[in-house]
This record gives sequence, structure tokens and C-alpha cells, in this order.
Amino acid sequence: MKRISSNPRSALSTAIVVALVVVIIVVAAVGAYIAVGTGKQTVTSTITSGTVSTVPTTVTSVSTSTSVSTSVSTASSSISISLTSTLPSETVLETGSSLLYPLFNIWAAALKTAYPSIQFTPASTGSGTGQSSAEKGTVQIGASDAYLTNAQASQYPFILNIPLAISAQQINYNLPMIPASDHLNFSGPVLAGIYNGSITTWNNPAIKALQSSSVAAMLPSNTIIPIHRSDGSGDTFIFTSYLSFSTPSWASGPGYGTTVNWPSVPAATAANGNGGMVTTCEGAEYSIAYIGVSFLQSALTQPTPLGYAYLKNEAGNYVNISQTNILSAANALAPQTPANERISLVFAPGANSYPIINYEYAMVNTTQSAPGMALTLRTFLTWMVAPQYGNSQSFLNQVNFIALPTNTLQLSLAQINEITGP
Amino acid sequence: MPKTPLADLAYKYVTALLCCGALLFIFFIVVILIPYSYPSFVYNGLKFFTTIIWNPALNGNLITVHGVKALSGSSYGLLVFLYGTLVSSGMAVLFGVPAGLAVAIFLTQIAPKQIVAPISFLVELLAGIPSVIFGFWGILVLGPFLLHSLEPQMIKYFGFIPFLQGPPYSYGFLGSGLILAIMIVPIIASISRDVMTQTPVEQKEGAKALGLTNWEITRKIVLPYARTGIIGAVILGLGRALGETMAVAFVSGSAINIIPPNFYSPINTLSAFMTLSLDSAFTDPSGMYVSALVECAVTLLVITMLVNVIARAMVKQGFIRSAEGVIRV
Repeated sequence: MKRISSNPRSALSTAIVVALVVVIIVVAAVGAYIAVGTGKQTVTSTITSGTVSTVPTTVTSVSTSTSVSTSVSTASSSISISLTSTLPSETVLETGSSLLYPLFNIWAAALKTAYPSIQFTPASTGSGTGQSSAEKGTVQIGASDAYLTNAQASQYPFILNIPLAISAQQINYNLPMIPASDHLNFSGPVLAGIYNGSITTWNNPAIKALQSSSVAAMLPSNTIIPIHRSDGSGDTFIFTSYLSFSTPSWASGPGYGTTVNWPSVPAATAANGNGGMVTTCEGAEYSIAYIGVSFLQSALTQPTPLGYAYLKNEAGNYVNISQTNILSAANALAPQTPANERISLVFAPGANSYPIINYEYAMVNTTQSAPGMALTLRTFLTWMVAPQYGNSQSFLNQVNFIALPTNTLQLSLAQINEITGP
Repeated sequence: MPKTPLADLAYKYVTALLCCGALLFIFFIVVILIPYSYPSFVYNGLKFFTTIIWNPALNGNLITVHGVKALSGSSYGLLVFLYGTLVSSGMAVLFGVPAGLAVAIFLTQIAPKQIVAPISFLVELLAGIPSVIFGFWGILVLGPFLLHSLEPQMIKYFGFIPFLQGPPYSYGFLGSGLILAIMIVPIIASISRDVMTQTPVEQKEGAKALGLTNWEITRKIVLPYARTGIIGAVILGLGRALGETMAVAFVSGSAINIIPPNFYSPINTLSAFMTLSLDSAFTDPSGMYVSALVECAVTLLVITMLVNVIARAMVKQGFIRSAEGVIRV
């Protein structure tokens, strides 16, 4: 030390290093104190819940815990949903779909007050990560905009695909000459033509033929810039499903998926995430993009507001992306939803059905690590799909989602009850 | 001062251990990349480097080809991304080298002493800006500027050159090249400056006495003297541009299945594509998509390692030559 202090410069640097170390130690100590503090809280809540349910090691002890049967009959159904009021202390992890993430965050806050013993942590990573994390068991709930493909389902038969809510997608375009009161009409084959490069300009006869005469007269001769997602995405999955189900040549060509083999269109470009789609579409005049309904308001309130299209449904009508139209589409296909609920809602039959809607899924392993965890997941997922709790419009309206129809709700509840301990 | 053998021992072994740790880490990265990319090597073969179609066919059925699992109908070719990586980095060097050299020459030959330190500091600060911030700037400012101002003018005056024709577009070839150029200027500037300051004063004074102008001194004495070091700096900058991910992911336009037909159209690079595709890759139950991305990673690793090894060798040689005073006038 003496030798060091003889050199004023190294003395100064030593002092700085010592000061830094002290600061780090203080910060770490404060952090540790806070962490231990919250840890204590969890411990106490464990004890209280433990005293009520006498440490749930078996499923039977769970059922003896004070379960409050709140059988609520909604206007449309008479499904009785009963939820346990107390749960063991568990840490539930969720990751996946960025479209579902805002809803999971709102739900997490409400669940925190209902079940203080549970640490519920949602994360936004992407549907693919949600699926693979649930398959590998690194999270309990994987959120996904798409159900598992046949190949995935045969590889991971123990993963349940549980619909939690219904989402939709609109087609936005950047055409300053079209007033906001007007909406372009699009059909699947014309959109497929734009995305495969056979329709390249806005005044192409194929586009004009779908429009009212006033809109058709306004269409410019500029090149169309089709924008697709650069990241893997549930939005790509449902958009390409619409193209595949309505256009045979698209079905046999690029097909549908979270990523597809996009045809090479010289003017085409790509953007990352729904937010990136809005920004890119707004930044490029004469562009067209497919964007999740959660971003509709954002698209309409840009400095250059984007227009959105009416889409041709299976019945041949051009329909708006309204709640009633989304609901008619959901109601049309809900009775055909199979027990494993792996079904596309795209291009649903019915005069008013909006053609691009989908179930938002929770991917959950049927066999959980412990009975307590299985009970927690059953309770949480039931809470999420219950019309009086998670599926109430007070939650769903915040992200423009639609509640599950009665048939689907029953199937989801049946799947949720398959979750068991080891 | 009393001897502290324990502290000395700890000092010796802890540092040695950590040093080995760094080496082991590099070793394990390579060891892990190889088995992960093996299925892709087997399934795609040489086609991986010669085709432009990247089609994961996520709805295909599980099949087994040459003993590895894949989805039926899938095919992987990285040519679009390899091309994008090389041309965007090449353009970065094209724009970045003159700018970086100009900064270095100004700072060592022309600038008054009082402003050298603050300017050097600012230039080096530019190197420390996180690349995502460049990306944000690119998507919000540079892209619209290119689309509305620069590219229409370029098309108007240089449109007779085939590659400069075509519709303007905000995110693509030109934008990526410019962003990367800005990012490598500080690297080139600071290394070139270090090499140039080592030019022996006697030679410059002698040249001055012989009546050479400042420009002639720079051209005939300073630049030849620093030549090898400058080449090393350029290659180091190239290495940075090749591996850059975030900034390019924002402004490249993420082209897929198409080689850019003109100077403004969207491109894609290996690193940006890997970042954006990983989530989708996890939905492939055969694991082939992930394996193909790892093969992209191996390709990128090989390219950047080669470039860095060459650069370091050249920078080192440059300094040795400077120290020996070997120059050509």
C-alpha cells in the first residue's frame, strides 16, 4: 500500500476502483435485501396457503381445499365454472406470442390479487419460442398464435393446444389518394397475385374490378410494395392461410406457415413485428401489409394514416373487420372445432364472417412436475377462459380480442382438465 | 513490505485459470456449432451455398433423408444472405475508408493541437454507440431521407447505369451500406491515426526542407509509411461490418429468395436473418431449420475469423515496419 500511495496517479485510480467496488457492494446488498424481503413474503404466503390446503402432495388433498363453486351462467351458456380460492405456492412461467403478451400482462395483474401465493411471470418472445419452450418444459405455458402442425403434434403428442381468445387481422395499405371514409376491397386471389408478383401496379384491372367505380378511378399506376414479416409470425400463418384457402395456386405454391417461401417480387420488402409492419407501411407510399388487429388503432393514427380493406369471405361478400363480423366467423366454425382444438378459423363460412381470424393458444404439457403445479395451471387456465374472469370484454377489449364461443369454451375446459401431476 | 506468498499464488493461478477459461470458451463454441449444424450439412450438401431459395416448408411431413430428420419439401440456400452480407460490407468499406482516412489525415497532419484531443474523443465515442441506436436512426431518419430525397435524385442523374435504375426504396442495399459505413469510420480513423502519428518527424522535416507541400508530404511520406497499418484498419472495419446484426436488421428490408435487382432494393445479411428467423425455426419439429441457421452461423464465423486474422497480422506487421523505419518515398 505504501508503494502504491507514493504514486499519486495510481493512488487516484486505486481510490476510484475502491469507490466502485463499494458502490457495487452497496447496490448488491440493497438488491439482496429487497430480494430476501420479497422471498420472506412468499414464504409467509406459502405457510398460510399450506395451512389451508395442508400441503397439496396429492390431487385429493387439493379437492378438499376450500373450493368456492361460483357457477355462473352467461347469457349464451350454462357452463358452470368453479375455481379454487387458494393455491399452493408455485412459480408459473409463460413465454411466447408477442400478440398475446399484453393480454397476459393484464391477466397477470388480476391473477396476482386473486392468488397472491403464485408468482406468475409472462414474457414476450415469439410463438415459435412459446411452442418449443412448452415442448421442452422450460415454461409451463407457451403462448402461440398458431396451433401445432401435424408433424409437430405427432412429435409432441403430450402438448395441449388450448384456445384462450380470438384475434383477427386486417389488410392495411398506404394510398394517400384514397380518403379514410373509403375502403378498398380485396379478395384472397388478388392478394395472392400481389404477393406472388403477378399483380404489380395499383391500377391493375384485377384490383379495379373489385372496387366501387369511384375508388377504382382513384387508383394510381404506381408499383405495389407488398410487405411481409421478416420474423417468424402467427400473423404470417393466418394471412397465408387466407391466401391458401381462397387460392389453389397459392396453396400448392408457398402454402401457409409461420414462415413461408415468399415468391420473389422485386418491389417486396419485409418488416420485423407488427410495430415494424406499421412503421414500414407508413414509410413507403403504395405499400400493402397484413397487421394484427391489436395494431389497428395505431395504423389509423399514424402521421400518414393507413387505410384498411374490406375482405371477401367464403360467401363472396366484402366484410369489415368489426366485432360482430369476427364473432359470426367464430360462431360459424366453433361447432366444427375438434376435441384437440387444432383448427384454422380462417375463411369461415357465413354471409357476414370476417375471413382472417384465429384462436390464440396456450401450449401446455398434460403431465406436470407436481400435483400442485397441475392444480395451479388448471385454475389459471380456467380463470383465463372463464367469461366472468379472463374472457370478459373488460380484459379483451383492451387488446381488441374476442371471447371464446360457448362450444370452444367447453372444449377448452375439457382440455384444461386433462392437465395432471406426475 | 512483507511478502505475501498466498496472495501471489492466488494472483498467479486465478489469472491463469481465467485465461484458460477464455480459450476453452472459444473451443466449446466451435465444438458445439459443429454437431448442431451437422444435419444441415448432410441434408443440404453443397446446394446450401449455391441456391437462393430458403424454404423451411413448415407444414411438411417428417421424413428422414440420409439418416437425418427433415420436413418434406424443405430446402435451404444461403446465397441471398451471403451476397447481402458481402455487398453491404463491401459498400461500407467503399464509403467508410475515404471518410475514415480523411479524419485520420486531418487529425495528424492539419488540425491545430488544441482540437485534436476533443475530435479524437468524439470520433472514438462514435465507435461506442450501440448499434441498435444506429438502426433506429436508420429506420426513422435515413430510410425516409433515401426514399424521398437522395434516391430520386440518383435515379434522375445516374439512372442510365443499369444497376442504379429502378424504383427507390427506403430500406435496402444503399441504406445498409451507409449505416455500416458510418459504423466503421471510427475504427478506420482511430487505427490509421495511431499508425500515421508514428511517421518519424525527421523525415517530414527533411521533406519540408526539400520544399514539399503539406499534401505532398502526406501523399509521399505519411501514407506510404502507414500503408500496411491502414490496410489492417480497413480489414478490421470490414470484420465489424460483416458481423453487424442489429443496425442492418432494421434497415436491410429483409429480402428473401431474391438477389437485389438494383442499388435500392431490399437485401438481407446472415446475422440479421439468423436473429429474425430463430423463433420460426423453433416450430420445425425435425430441427432442420435450426440446424440450417447454425450452418449460417458457421459460415459467418469462418468469414469473420479469416478477416480478423488477416487484419491483425497486417496491423501488427504495419507497426513493426513503422518501427524499423522501412519506407518508400
